[in-house]
Amino acid sequence: MARWARREDARLLTGKGRYVADIDVPGCLEAAFVRSRVAHGRLRAVDCTAARDVPGVLGAWSATDLPDLPPVAILDRLSKDDAVAGREWPALVKDRVRYPGEALAVVVGEDRYRAEDGVAEVNATIDPLPAVVTPSAALRDDSVRLFDGLSNIALRGEAGTPVDPSVWQDAAVVVEAAYRQQLLMPSPMECRTILAVPEGDRLTVWAGHQMPHRLARSLAASLRRPADRIRVVVPDTGGAFGSKSAMFPEYLVVAYLALRLGRPVRWIEDRLESMLVATRGRGQEQTVRLAADTEGRLLAYELTIDADAGAYPHLGVTLPMITASMATGAYTTPHVHATVRSVLTNTMVTYPYRGAGRPEATTAIERTMDLLGRRLGIDPVELRRRNFIPSDAFPYETPTGRRYDSGNYSAALDLALRTLGYEKWRAERSRRHDDPDALPLGIGVSCYVERSGGEAGLLHEFGSVEAHEDGTVTARCGAASSGQSHETLFPALVAEALGVPETHVRLIEGDTDEQPEGVGSFASRSAQVAGAMFQHAAGLLVQEARERAAESWGLPVDEVDWADGGVHAASGGPAATSLGDLVKATGPLRVEDRYETSVAFPFGAHVAVAEVDPDLGTVNVLRLVAVEDCGVVLSPATVHGQTLGSTVQGIGQALYEGITFDDVGVPCLASGFLDYLLPTFAEIPPVDIRHTRTPNPGTPLGAKGAGESGCIGAPAAIVNAVADALRIADPGLLQTPLTPDIVWRAARAPGHGEGVR
Amino acid sequence: MKITLNVNGAGHFVDVEPRRLLADVLRDDLGLTGTHLGCEHGVCGACTVLMGGRPVRSCLVLAVQCDGSSVRTVEGLAEPDGEPHPLQRAFSAEHALQCGFCTPGFLMAAAGALEADPGLADDPEAIAGVVGSGICRCTGYEPIRRAVVRAAREQRGTAGRAP
Repeated sequence: MARWARREDARLLTGKGRYVADIDVPGCLEAAFVRSRVAHGRLRAVDCTAARDVPGVLGAWSATDLPDLPPVAILDRLSKDDAVAGREWPALVKDRVRYPGEALAVVVGEDRYRAEDGVAEVNATIDPLPAVVTPSAALRDDSVRLFDGLSNIALRGEAGTPVDPSVWQDAAVVVEAAYRQQLLMPSPMECRTILAVPEGDRLTVWAGHQMPHRLARSLAASLRRPADRIRVVVPDTGGAFGSKSAMFPEYLVVAYLALRLGRPVRWIEDRLESMLVATRGRGQEQTVRLAADTEGRLLAYELTIDADAGAYPHLGVTLPMITASMATGAYTTPHVHATVRSVLTNTMVTYPYRGAGRPEATTAIERTMDLLGRRLGIDPVELRRRNFIPSDAFPYETPTGRRYDSGNYSAALDLALRTLGYEKWRAERSRRHDDPDALPLGIGVSCYVERSGGEAGLLHEFGSVEAHEDGTVTARCGAASSGQSHETLFPALVAEALGVPETHVRLIEGDTDEQPEGVGSFASRSAQVAGAMFQHAAGLLVQEARERAAESWGLPVDEVDWADGGVHAASGGPAATSLGDLVKATGPLRVEDRYETSVAFPFGAHVAVAEVDPDLGTVNVLRLVAVEDCGVVLSPATVHGQTLGSTVQGIGQALYEGITFDDVGVPCLASGFLDYLLPTFAEIPPVDIRHTRTPNPGTPLGAKGAGESGCIGAPAAIVNAVADALRIADPGLLQTPLTPDIVWRAARAPGHGEGVR
Repeated sequence: MKITLNVNGAGHFVDVEPRRLLADVLRDDLGLTGTHLGCEHGVCGACTVLMGGRPVRSCLVLAVQCDGSSVRTVEGLAEPDGEPHPLQRAFSAEHALQCGFCTPGFLMAAAGALEADPGLADDPEAIAGVVGSGICRCTGYEPIRRAVVRAAREQRGTAGRAP
């Protein structure tokens, strides 16, 4: 057995990993930012004079000092022209602070200590303005506008068509609810990092990043430099979860200063900064309406979303459209309509965080399904079975404009219930209900449909496969790993496709010089898209090898076979050669391509069992079963790891993670991770992970995304279990995170105990 | 201030500001970048190293507090001949790391616990305490628990997979 299960492990377990903060560059300056302590205000003055006199400080600048510092450019249709029109996002605040922590000035020093000494000497004068930190507050109080003369609504959108009023009037039952999906912090253990090194007329940028080519293009566009003058290299990246896929104001400042000073400049975000100014996820206020007949067959579903876009509409303003388009969920509801308002607030920008729009859609429909089940007196499992899109109905066009590729939703739910032992827990639930001394216990189900690969325009990946004279193979692609084992998995995939030993293949990724074009790693797409690309490229290499051999041997191509990593004549005989010998004989052998895939729709079912102490408000998740169908699995261990890690992030959303704000809109985060509670081992229930397998019909490889399902399915299952335990009639009482305070109040609310099924 | 540190068996004389963190001395002055800073306020545990054999958060320890101490970092975990520590092998075998950023901290916390308690394999609560002492955002922790159990069993001499 090899010493290490993954190639990455050899360095990551021995202290030889190389993250941006670890790179030793002679003469490198460290940057630190002066950050606003207010959420909203008019910036009157920034005085950097004293900072410049601090020993070891090389310079300190506000926006006024850098008139040619460009604003943040948008790329890749991350926003819309009319959303950003008149709403510039300056890299350093010019005249208006719009979120707490927004950068007022930058200081560079010989090291971080000196830079922070300088930061302490910068004086800023800000006249505070009232702050709005939720969509409802930003909509309610029209006197607080983030951009003078412009609405706080930066974008409106919809999916599906409005439901005819007669459908609601004629339905046997209509349930309504309001949900708040709180802002979350992606919180990779490595915060954001960037190191910009000028070299001649080029700039090499090292960053922990998911999309090096996007970062290179964004920097080039912002700094008005030819794209080929900027090289982005992604070394080891300490987690990302969506939060490291854009160009941020600080990145622009660091790259600009490196060019201006002609010296390497690095910024390593610290945790407190990250908690203030790294992108947030989720952040939606939703209302729902669901109509059904007396048998529980769904007739119509309406979802309205007021999404917290944050202070600038440049990165996440279209993100809630993913929620709208995924509103349908797993059901055959004939009429579904979802509307979106993306609302500007005085918070850091909302941006994709693992799940990115799908947890919000799943939680809305799955919580409402339980509400409907209680209203109708139908078991939530039975209610779902009556409404699932049947497995023979794929591809299925949803009323919200999605074309689900494949699915077998009931199989996933059945496996989840079997794994859990549903009937046994149902009996325990009843027993406790009849026992006044027992803590109430609830069972929660959540059936999700995920969307993986990305959206139109970003469903392709670039890459190449190159054979060398020594028989080894180099694979290159535009993806970038932040923990997903690319370095191990992609070579294994290419090796299998070529029939050569795994050890003969190596991967190069995360370098825009090595791979000039690329898309990146997001939307759970690495296996689905880059994997399919590699399988395709390996096929092209085989084809090219057969053609070369055919020409050498004077045979028709169809009489040359490929087997065991080499070519040979189909008729047998001496005409056979290995890949390496073929390269020696015929010259360099390299194929490259752009491979386009379609969107995929993984799916699955989560079931949670939770015990609630109504007197303490505590929730104890006793069991969690996650069944996931991500099509063909390339590496069971990797997929298992992704599912478990993602599920734990879903537990965090359901029970622990949330930001509170003070009266003037500043997050209460003075104690860092003691204020924002990430799950630790002590909070992890027994989690069983199972898989069904419905291959992706969109690629020969058959893989769908596996990285985000856990946090899409888990939150609703847990909340439904708590609602079931407390027999809550009004779902609005249980808004996540379900802290003891929330649960204690919900357990005491009037109407508690109604709607018993 | 001039201090002496023994790090992974090698002596170092360094001149540090009183405010300088042990983590920064290890990383920037000694080039031992395997110790990572994840939160800089002692919660996440990524920067855990052994000081006098006991786990400490190197982001909460001033370098001057370590004058004359012996410190062990992830770079000093393997045998001098490069043979990996049982914990390193176990973490790989159990897929107890993904991005690897928090990993050195978990390794050193577990190494400290293993050295302090040869019977750790039989003490699930103590193992839970070790795994619960840090934050990992990738793995969901159970693989880390399994890895610590695996290494603890190997140390005890009854190799086998974690339950």
